[in-house]
Amino acid sequence: MFFRKKRNKASLKKTLEQSPPPSQNEIDAEQSQPSTSKSHKDDITTKDLSKGPANNSTARKDDPETISSSTEIFVKDIKKRIHSPADLVIRYVSDTITILYIDNLIKEDILNEKILPNLQNMNEETPMRIQKLLPLPRVTVFDRMNEVIETMLTGAVIIHVAGHNLTTLVIIPAREARSLTSPENESQVIGSQVGFNESLSTNVSLIRRYILNPNLVNEKIKVGKQTNTSLALLYIDGVASEQNINTVRQRLNSLDVRDIIDSAEIAELIDDSSLSLFPQILLTERPDRFCDDLLSGKVGILVDGSSMGILCPYTFIEFFQSREDKNLRWPIATFVRLLRFLAIFISAFFTPLYVATLTFHYEVIPQPLLIPLSESRAKVPFPPILEALFLELIIELLREAGARLPTKIGQTIGIVGGIVLGTAAVDAGITSNILIIIVALCALSAFTTPNYMMGNTVRVLRFPIIILAGFWGYYGIMFAFCMLLIHLLRQSSLGAPYMSPFYPLRLKSLADSIVRLPYPFIIRKSPNARVEDPELSTMQASLKDQKKVKE
Amino acid sequence: MKKALQVNPTQMFNAPLLLFIICAAQIGVGVHGFQSFIYEHAKKDAWISIIISFLAAHIIVFIIFKILQLYDSNDIYGINLDLFGKYFGNFVNLALITYCGLAYFVIIKNYREVINTWVFPDLSPAFITAILLIIVIYAFTGGLRVIIGICFFSFFLSLFIPIILLFPIEYSRINYLLPILDSDFISILKGAYYMTFTIVGFEIIGTLYPFVKEKKKAQKYVHFALFLTLMFYLFIMFITSTFFSGEQLERTIWATLSLLSIIRLPFLERVEIITICFWMIIILPNLCLYAWSAYRGFIRIIDITEKKFILIFSLLIFIAAFPLQTRIQIEKFNNFFGSVAFYLIFVYPLFLYFIALIKKKMFRKKGGKG
Repeated sequence: MFFRKKRNKASLKKTLEQSPPPSQNEIDAEQSQPSTSKSHKDDITTKDLSKGPANNSTARKDDPETISSSTEIFVKDIKKRIHSPADLVIRYVSDTITILYIDNLIKEDILNEKILPNLQNMNEETPMRIQKLLPLPRVTVFDRMNEVIETMLTGAVIIHVAGHNLTTLVIIPAREARSLTSPENESQVIGSQVGFNESLSTNVSLIRRYILNPNLVNEKIKVGKQTNTSLALLYIDGVASEQNINTVRQRLNSLDVRDIIDSAEIAELIDDSSLSLFPQILLTERPDRFCDDLLSGKVGILVDGSSMGILCPYTFIEFFQSREDKNLRWPIATFVRLLRFLAIFISAFFTPLYVATLTFHYEVIPQPLLIPLSESRAKVPFPPILEALFLELIIELLREAGARLPTKIGQTIGIVGGIVLGTAAVDAGITSNILIIIVALCALSAFTTPNYMMGNTVRVLRFPIIILAGFWGYYGIMFAFCMLLIHLLRQSSLGAPYMSPFYPLRLKSLADSIVRLPYPFIIRKSPNARVEDPELSTMQASLKDQKKVKE
Repeated sequence: MKKALQVNPTQMFNAPLLLFIICAAQIGVGVHGFQSFIYEHAKKDAWISIIISFLAAHIIVFIIFKILQLYDSNDIYGINLDLFGKYFGNFVNLALITYCGLAYFVIIKNYREVINTWVFPDLSPAFITAILLIIVIYAFTGGLRVIIGICFFSFFLSLFIPIILLFPIEYSRINYLLPILDSDFISILKGAYYMTFTIVGFEIIGTLYPFVKEKKKAQKYVHFALFLTLMFYLFIMFITSTFFSGEQLERTIWATLSLLSIIRLPFLERVEIITICFWMIIILPNLCLYAWSAYRGFIRIIDITEKKFILIFSLLIFIAAFPLQTRIQIEKFNNFFGSVAFYLIFVYPLFLYFIALIKKKMFRKKGGKG
């Protein structure tokens, strides 16, 4: 992929270098002696034609990428290349000019209003002249077949002039895109209500609207041998660390995949450890969060056709932060963040603790609490581990069914499953009341995670722990806890430690981690981007000045 | 002869982390029941024994740093090789590696016994050992960064233990401590000697030193860590000896655990069961650091990858764990380990420093002549 990109660049350069001189010559020639030059050129073309199709075909045999000067052969070639699809439109504008395009991929009104009238009025019919005369911004001339096909598929009209080995392409893509809606997976009460859609250009423009900064860099990378998906690599020059940018760029360029449909695939492919349970790269559909992270020194990737942006490097605790935390008053935001942090532990360890306690460690529960517990469990014929796994499974099934069904039916299923199944299960004596409370609490806690990917991980985490707890009690739970801790310590995101800012301890970054302190304490810098930002220091200096003034 | 150890800068860690490393390395299985051993000798003045043992530890740390500073950036194994030559140096290193292995073994055995006695009487000892070994293998293969991370989290996660130990204070009687200096000095010293098993762990600095980024600051943090653990042990000793009467304490094997078992919260009783299981994360840094220390020494003798080393090491420990099963055997072994540790940790550095000084002086003379 990398090499291919390089080659493309080189060929583009070549065409750029080649194209100006002839046009310059042409203009000069036209100014001095127009008639002769034209006739001369015509002579050459007619000569070429007169040499016959045999000559042409041999030339094509040598190099199938050459554009045929004969209209018939050219159209045939194009049809062959794209397997003559039903939506290919071919129109012969005049004796020599032919236009080809794929229906619905281009803006037809532009074709009708700007291109066709101009072409019909033209006398000088060379691709170069057409390029100059068409009043549209993106008109290019190509001499290679593969480039022509590639550009055409992105939404371009091919203008072929008989007798020339070059074609003009007018790029007027009509991309059907969903209108901008509010982000449904990461909804928030306060703050902007716009989410990314599936169009890369719209998404980039959204970001440009937030960050009016010439240092916002947008690099284009193509990935996927079959799909040729465009990616935009976004970062703020001078804020994002050079090392991170290079790592991401290199990982993207060395991707050797057939097809990419969504950004989530890219995120998994460029992860540090794809085997890990935990996501190391954030997927977000919120442009405000995306910009926020770009400004704090992260590297972002947008994928054409996907409504999720990728951000890296990310740390464990940042997955539990929401953009809304910054819009709330700081004590409230801190409270909410601590609540979410607590929810991780509740979600992962509460059911296992119940299972372990009731299987092995009855003595831990005080007597007044033990009586209702044993009463509610008296009717249940199963050991706690089976009971817990059974209920957890029901919750998972409900969630999965709710997620797949249309919203209205999903709600019904939730009510039927939650209320009917729950009460019926207790009445039937399959589970105990208290366990239902605990399992519901765990499920609730798992859904407080603001990030969907991390939420999934937090939810699934409890199953192995329940099994360990059922077999070896607290010892099993501690085993799971230690393994989890080590696992988290072993992870990295773009080579940067995953547990930062706790370990390695970065006291400055702690202000915006598990708590959110007032803004003067917060440095807009991600814990893993260790770049000294000159603006940052000036900001801090001005804050100090303010304090002095106050004093 | 390798003079300085080449350490990759990415492997280095900041000096303040030493605070957590040394604390985590010192606090381990000893805390469960060190009180009765000291009380046996020093009686009511057990707390003086603890202070004396820590004073000795401070002196030893001071001397270890003196030795390490004679060399630019080298660990204790490299210094041995430099001072005693290849063969005798390696022999001494082997002794140190064996010590690390013994420490590792003792920790696992003691923890295994506590689990079997307090929590799961029927759980197979082999299984308990295997679980611990698996965790250590997973942590060890992550490298030094992960091991230090565990020390760090272990330190913060176990901060709740001093807090719950405050509950028994309501039953404490201060006159169990009086009169002060009731025992004779020899007994107090003997008590201090029996602290060895509980106090060791700080010697890890001999291996860690080349990996510290700011070498000048390192010593400060180690001393501070020693002070913190001293406070912790003194606190526990104070609560224990005011809670139990003398005879009671002598008959209690795991005094700290007995203390915990009287705590009653509205939703929780028998806190010691939770605490014992939680202790896994407290002994984890000890195990990892000793395994790592052994590895650092071992690669001086035989070039071996981390993975191979930890697998072989774990297998050896697993096999060796079978014969020792009863309380009496374990206690004997603890005492044996205590005396080995005493000579290797408290006596050997003095000797080493002495030799290192002599050698340096000789070199200077030679240099002067040359």
